[in-house]
Amino acid sequence: MNRRFSDLFRPALLVFGVLLLLGFTLQAQEKPTSSVKEESYGLTPERYMPFGNYANPYREFFREPLLYRGHGRTLDSPDPATLGTIRIGFLGPIEKTVSVASGSASHEMVLGQAMLQGAQLAIAEANARGGFRHTKVPFELMIHNDNGLWGASGNEIIDMVYREKVWAILGSIDGANSHIAIRVALKCEVPVMNSGDTDPTFVETRIPWVFRCIADDRNMCYLLADFAYGKLKLKRVAALRANNRYGRISIDEFRDASTRLGRPFITELNYPVGAEDFSEALKQICALEPDGVITFGNAEESARILKQMRAMDLNCWYFGSDRLVSPQFTGKLNHRDLHRVAAGVPYNPNSQHVRFMAFQAAYRKAFNMEPDAYAAHAYDGMNMLLDAIQQAGLNRALIRDSLASMSTYQGVTGLKEFDHVFSNVSPAFLAIWEQGVVKYVSRDEMAELNLEP
Amino acid sequence: MKRFWYVILISLSVFGSDSTPSKAARMDPFIYKNWETYYASEHGLPNDHIFALHWDGTALWVGTEGGLACLKDGEWSSWVQRDDQPHGLPWNVVSSLDVDPQTRDVWIGLFGGGLARYSAGRFDHWNQFNSGLVNDVVYGLTVAGNEVWVATTAGISVFNTISGQWDIYTERNAPMHEIWAYSIDSADNKVFAAVWGGGILEFDLNSRRWNAHLDPDGEMELDLYRDDGLIHVITTSASYVDQTLWAATYFGLSRYDGRKWRGYTLLDSGLQSEFINLCKGRSATSSYNCTDLGLAVLVDFETDLWVTYLREESGTANGEQEGFWVAKVFQGNHLLTTSTTNLSLPNHFVITCEFQGEDLWIGTGHGLARGQGKGFYPGPNPNGVKP
Repeated sequence: MNRRFSDLFRPALLVFGVLLLLGFTLQAQEKPTSSVKEESYGLTPERYMPFGNYANPYREFFREPLLYRGHGRTLDSPDPATLGTIRIGFLGPIEKTVSVASGSASHEMVLGQAMLQGAQLAIAEANARGGFRHTKVPFELMIHNDNGLWGASGNEIIDMVYREKVWAILGSIDGANSHIAIRVALKCEVPVMNSGDTDPTFVETRIPWVFRCIADDRNMCYLLADFAYGKLKLKRVAALRANNRYGRISIDEFRDASTRLGRPFITELNYPVGAEDFSEALKQICALEPDGVITFGNAEESARILKQMRAMDLNCWYFGSDRLVSPQFTGKLNHRDLHRVAAGVPYNPNSQHVRFMAFQAAYRKAFNMEPDAYAAHAYDGMNMLLDAIQQAGLNRALIRDSLASMSTYQGVTGLKEFDHVFSNVSPAFLAIWEQGVVKYVSRDEMAELNLEP
Repeated sequence: MKRFWYVILISLSVFGSDSTPSKAARMDPFIYKNWETYYASEHGLPNDHIFALHWDGTALWVGTEGGLACLKDGEWSSWVQRDDQPHGLPWNVVSSLDVDPQTRDVWIGLFGGGLARYSAGRFDHWNQFNSGLVNDVVYGLTVAGNEVWVATTAGISVFNTISGQWDIYTERNAPMHEIWAYSIDSADNKVFAAVWGGGILEFDLNSRRWNAHLDPDGEMELDLYRDDGLIHVITTSASYVDQTLWAATYFGLSRYDGRKWRGYTLLDSGLQSEFINLCKGRSATSSYNCTDLGLAVLVDFETDLWVTYLREESGTANGEQEGFWVAKVFQGNHLLTTSTTNLSLPNHFVITCEFQGEDLWIGTGHGLARGQGKGFYPGPNPNGVKP
């Protein structure tokens, strides 16, 4: 009798144990949300999902449109004729200021000036068309420098909102300063369009007043990772990045993608902004026999790293951010250096689209120079603000609503598609240099390339 | 063999059941049904956009986007910035308030204007150019002993009111992943700062050491497990009461009793929105959460009982009147009952709240209101759970 009971009890105990484990597992995970990934946040491919191989998250954010539920829509609109001008704020690094990170001159002034010129061109064209709703009341750009010191961008937003009474703001480039600016904008309730900060976390704050018209580093890093690991089949990528917030945050998605593909960085080193000599770091990297090196930092340092890599006969692939697509990077390198180099870019600078070519011509005429990514995206961002103001009138909340309703926008930098957090998720491009010659390719074109690994 | 299936059935019944109490159980929490409303056009408020409230035991201080106000013994006083008053309110946008219990000085955080102190009928002013205030964009402040802790957009400044010395905390000397301080609270010789992107920072005033509470999953776009720690690093306020920390984020609410964390989101609570501007703990088991979709009150932690006050925009179902706020009682996220109130504020974007004894004040994007707490009781009905 005892034996028969024992025989029966053992399997029951086993099943009980399994159920116990199952019960604890379910309790620990609580109630998973949908496992559907086809409309993932940021169009993240399944292979790059955080914890995708291990668990369904309890709660996924940024999957529904952000809502503004405040009182702003009911505020009265002033008579535009009494205002003289319709003011729009501009925040960008346009003056030579001291970099907090390096103590030397800020490197972002060149980018900020291009951004300002793009915005000015859009304003000038809108005024030539008759200004605010063809009333001949002109738009006026209230220009503020973003000097990046001690949270100064917050003070600039305060000035624009409470003293200058702007209706919307374009800005900025630096990730930290842009974050500070939008936190202030949230409390003041003013729409902010960003055309130059590619930090993925910029929009990951649930602020319903923030819009971004440039593709972010998440988008560009996924493409770059697909290129490095999918196309080139690399296995040993080392990272050498700036030790500022840009270097730390912007490389995140590439690092995570590498890890999730089973190819974690063989090392990740950083350098102070403004560094000249990278020999020690490169010696360490060389000793690890990498088949690729990635950097996230300013164009000048990125150029120095590449120059010194090639001088050390480290001729593997070199990857970087969109900041490589600039004269500050390419101007200091020869065709031997600029070989097996790739960077993510938010748009196709060689586009033959009629809108882009018209913009290029107008920009050349106005400023006697070629537009870069910062100029082109500022032009698009400012035009989105202008369109929203024309449509909504002089009410910040309604201007916000008008921007939020733009699920797509045809700009000079291409057709922009916006996700639930109002960030541009349209496809990024790759810039690939071979023998000093750059070509810009889409994801589909990348698949057709014949390249040496 | 029968025993075998008996064990299986028991196992299934234990692990297949919902652990929350029956939806049918009526917990009968106290509901604020009677409210008074205050507007700039009818009362002494300088502006209807309410940013801060503080009850100092005898008076209610109100910070607005257009000046400072005080309600004492039914009389309003107000101050606005005037260029001809060198010792007047130095900036109109008042984001935070606290009163020093020893001196009765009123400390005023100015959004874009620095820090002010109202004492003996005059305002003294500190800013980033004349003091150790790290930035003029002040989000929050708290008086802790002889120190005034100020949360700014570029770090935290501490002013010692006895020595006049300033200390600054940024990423260089504190575990700040980011420096964007959003709110600050103190109690029991501890200071808690909500740092946007940096979680909750805890400072022990005895040891003068920091401790950081972060989101364990490290991801912005998800919360991996509900109760593994802080829901998100984008924190908006911290409130420490009865040795329990309440932490608000734009992604939900977290509670930490020093040993265990508990998270609250739309999936499992009476929160009708996870966008929490401010949370204020009333006890270790109850917190008041100001959201963009009303005031969500966790009445009782143990029974997961909530009352959420929000404006009913349309319909008169269940007898509620259009345009008036209703009180929805939830257990977890299960709606139990809906009650009417006489609260008629035109917008339920709740920015701040404050307790005055049993009464409750809320400040919104347009207007101020006081809920009358006569007969208030904490938690479920003390007479027991009704069938």
